[in-house]
Amino acid sequence: MNNAIVTEGLDKGFRDKGVLKELSLVVPQGSVFGLLGRNGAGKTTLIKCLLGLIRPQAGKIAVLGDDPWDFLEETKERIGYVPQTDRPYPWLTARQLIDYTASFYRHWNHELTDRLMKEWGLNAEDKVGLLSEGETQKLNIILALGHEPELLVFDEPVASLDPASRRQFLKTVLEIVSDRPCTIFFSTHITSDLERVADRVAVLKDGRIAFAGELDVLKEEIKRLRIRAAGVRLEDFKGEGILHREVFAHEAILCVRGYTPDIKKAIEEKFRAQLDVEDLNLEEIFLELTR
Amino acid sequence: MTEEKTKVYFRIAASSGVPIYRQLIDQVKTLVATSALAPGTFLPSVRQVAAELAINPMTVSKAYSLLEKENVVEFVRGQGMKIRGTAVSQEDLSQRQGQMVPLLKEVIVRASQLSLRPGKVMKMLESLWKEEGSHE
Repeated sequence: MNNAIVTEGLDKGFRDKGVLKELSLVVPQGSVFGLLGRNGAGKTTLIKCLLGLIRPQAGKIAVLGDDPWDFLEETKERIGYVPQTDRPYPWLTARQLIDYTASFYRHWNHELTDRLMKEWGLNAEDKVGLLSEGETQKLNIILALGHEPELLVFDEPVASLDPASRRQFLKTVLEIVSDRPCTIFFSTHITSDLERVADRVAVLKDGRIAFAGELDVLKEEIKRLRIRAAGVRLEDFKGEGILHREVFAHEAILCVRGYTPDIKKAIEEKFRAQLDVEDLNLEEIFLELTR
Repeated sequence: MTEEKTKVYFRIAASSGVPIYRQLIDQVKTLVATSALAPGTFLPSVRQVAAELAINPMTVSKAYSLLEKENVVEFVRGQGMKIRGTAVSQEDLSQRQGQMVPLLKEVIVRASQLSLRPGKVMKMLESLWKEEGSHE
């Protein structure tokens, strides 16, 4: 089995509102996979479907080969989940919460969780309810790592962390990925973090996946073109690969997908134009894909 | 006795339009071309580079693989990626020149659009270059 997660034709809605529509996604094993989407696009809904917390109206899902709605116990032990906001058991100390969580699993690496607590500056004797948001988030991450799962699912894991803590988190994630076979799936707004660690990304838009594939390929294929020529009109630029177009007095700005150097030549010749090709980073690509 | 790995300082811009693996490849090639990395020295391990730059080790692997395909480095069992001999730097020179050509052509086109003569543009280039040089 090569894929950690596979969904086909997923439909999920609430009352009259459709959130996920015919959503199909593949996450290969060993991948560090980033899910991007605007607020309200349905990232959390998708993640909850993947974990069997809510049930889709239609479609198929296989996580580690198993159907989430009927997960085997063994499968659950191979998955770690960090939800968006969670303040569990405020009256317990961090140490107690870790021990409590560990008791649910046949395998728990106490050395790892102790080390992470220290490295991330968490005090074992602090009551969970009194931790700051950042500290709570760190604790939730540690709780998901203790049983050394094969699949880690993070829902906005670093939203409350400052840049230094985010960097710590990324380094830990990368350490894990280096040490043992592990698939990491996380949804985030922070494109710069994804650019460092993800090898694949998917963009969720209007309930569907607008793009899914290797991050490097995405950067190589999507470019912004500035075309300077007299008399360019909007109608001159049509086609499936054009994500966005704007025309000013003597300039057209296109955002294209599937760019190759031949296209540059073709446009320069056709319009006798001056053409500048701009590379776009993930944030800009995300904005273009989700206009 | 294991070879000492040279300390290489890679700098990457994670949020650039240029994929990270490509940045690493270009940096290794530049270091080789400027003799900062001598033939026979070893690149740091994938793990080391990934940990230092806080990036996915697969990205470093990808860069190293492609460098190997392009014969810039070769894999030595048990030791890692070794920089290959000088024959490569010659190839590399024409590659580097090739990369300049499109930029130079653009300069020519733009100069003509702005009605600037070649002689004028060359003078401008020379003085700008001197300026840049004095800042290094």
